[in-house]
Amino acid sequence: MNMTTALARLLIFPGLLFAVPAAWFFLWVERKAVAMMQGRIGPPFMQPFYDFIKLLGKGTPPRSGIGGMLMRAWPLIAVASAAGAVGLLPVLPSSGGFQGDLILLLALMELPSMCIIAAGFSSRSIFGEIGSAREAVLSVSYNIVFLLAIVSIAASQHTFSLEALAQLPASPLRVLGILALLVCLPAKLHLNPFSLPNAEQEIYSGPMTEYAGPELAMWELSHGLEWVAATGLVATLAAPVITTWWLAALVFVALSFGIVLLLSVVASATARLQIDTTVRFYWQCTLIFAVLAVASALFMRFRS
Amino acid sequence: MSYKIPMGPYHPALEEPYKLDLICTGETVTDAKLHIGFNFRGIEHLAETRNYIQVIALMERVCGICSNIHTLTLCQAMEGLTGLTPPPRAQYIRVVMAELERLHSHVLWAGIAAKLMGFKTMFMTCFELREKVMDVLQAISGNRVNYSMNRIGGVNRDIEDPIALLGMIDVLEREMVKKVIPIFTTSSTARSRCAGIGVLTHEKAISCGTVGPVARASGVGQDIRKAAPYAAYAEMDFEVPVQPDGDVKARLLVRALEIMESCKILRQALTKMPPGELASGGDKFTFVTGTATSRVEAPRGEVMYSVSWKEGARNPARVHVRTPTFATMPAIRWMVLGARLADTPLIQASIDPCYSCTDR
Repeated sequence: MNMTTALARLLIFPGLLFAVPAAWFFLWVERKAVAMMQGRIGPPFMQPFYDFIKLLGKGTPPRSGIGGMLMRAWPLIAVASAAGAVGLLPVLPSSGGFQGDLILLLALMELPSMCIIAAGFSSRSIFGEIGSAREAVLSVSYNIVFLLAIVSIAASQHTFSLEALAQLPASPLRVLGILALLVCLPAKLHLNPFSLPNAEQEIYSGPMTEYAGPELAMWELSHGLEWVAATGLVATLAAPVITTWWLAALVFVALSFGIVLLLSVVASATARLQIDTTVRFYWQCTLIFAVLAVASALFMRFRS
Repeated sequence: MSYKIPMGPYHPALEEPYKLDLICTGETVTDAKLHIGFNFRGIEHLAETRNYIQVIALMERVCGICSNIHTLTLCQAMEGLTGLTPPPRAQYIRVVMAELERLHSHVLWAGIAAKLMGFKTMFMTCFELREKVMDVLQAISGNRVNYSMNRIGGVNRDIEDPIALLGMIDVLEREMVKKVIPIFTTSSTARSRCAGIGVLTHEKAISCGTVGPVARASGVGQDIRKAAPYAAYAEMDFEVPVQPDGDVKARLLVRALEIMESCKILRQALTKMPPGELASGGDKFTFVTGTATSRVEAPRGEVMYSVSWKEGARNPARVHVRTPTFATMPAIRWMVLGARLADTPLIQASIDPCYSCTDR
């Protein structure tokens, strides 16, 4: 991947120019779908955009010292890393990439969650701290499954390059891996039944409680970009190999849209679980599932 | 390390201003303190400055959910002081209004409980159903919240065609059986949030003096409608649901079963409604000196009014209200001990608190 393609991917497609409207679109789809399932009308199409603009125009409380600087920095780091993660997705055929970009993608996708944890603690609010503690526990639980699922797909194919992974034919193992990834997505995106860090009935909005104005707008944006990156990752792994670039982009968007709808259905049909039930769920049920996937991947690798 | 987390007086989980100070270690609650009095309105004092017509309209505004129950209890107490007995048709209409109010209060509570579990779809389903109950109430009284149905010696408005309302009751019951009860009892996420949490033992329920569905969910089978029947409840055939477990699930089940019993009572009251007068006595009333009390089973439990009057006076000398939340409130502390922080909003809401009535 040379500098031009890298910049084009980061800034145009699937990077910022595509990802930011896509983030708002996915946020709208999720809100609208949940609203329709609940018998409500839901927000108008442009609402996430309006929210963003309105938040940008508001003021933030003056914060001094290292704590204040950190609080301003976390949302920016989160947005930057989420945008970077989206830019790495191999949506277009033969768009380049490098060996090991999968590892970079996983690291970038994890950064926003780290920033949320840090933000909650630096805000020094009791609600923020509890929210951060929950996010940390949640992150430790689902990430093992998330990583194992990806590693199982990668290990079976001897590669850590996203491009190579996306172009491999579908296999039962890959389906298993994608399923494990899908189970992790609600926790990664703070959706029901795992919407613990931002459980408004218990701890207001958790780590975000002390945030307002442009900083909150950045959090909203990073959340939207996380949506695009997470659904996009699953979509690229699930998408069939297509050589026409516009068709590939279309299939990518359609698959991401389907995943957003699926997640919305799950979110609206469930109640929020407690933290220990959630941790048990990921460690007991899904971990077994992921370990099986890795074991079979390694087995396949040694046999071949 | 333990820390104190304040819940309220303004909190997304509470509909009303009150405060629960939770002392937690990690996510476990080790102690709790409840503060009320954020919504004190001085209604009891205000009642002493109102005449016997105005005081009914005033007391209707003690609670926004069980407004009918408050006027019913007050009117019964005042009837004790004037020596009037409401005619049979008025007694039946009072039963219909009380049961419809119980229905809408319980459905509202189910919605709030669902919201506190983070189950917003269920919240919307419950509130849609509540709208249908409100429609029935509006069809009868013309009002959705403050019905102004009760007066001294009877009721203000007639139910002209009781049989026509039966269809609406059938719809309510069907929706309850088909949607609300199955989702609460079969949804695994909802079940995991309710079963075994916020346990109030039978002994504690008695020693705290809890009333209503909270007591019945802890195996205390008390209900004023059975124990000391008022209005036309003596002629109704119904069961008092009692659950032994004392957890949030039991409270949920008791209320769900009460909704079914309410439908049963409504059907009987509407079909058997006798013809006749709506009120006894004229427009002017003479009170004897003394104190009369009246007890009624509100959706949340026993409401008691104590009304004192001096002969010849137009205004009451004292109106005292004891709401069910006042009796049930102390039990919260025992329910949340050892609970997880995530469960406390649901546990405190499981007593169906109405602090605005308690603050008066």
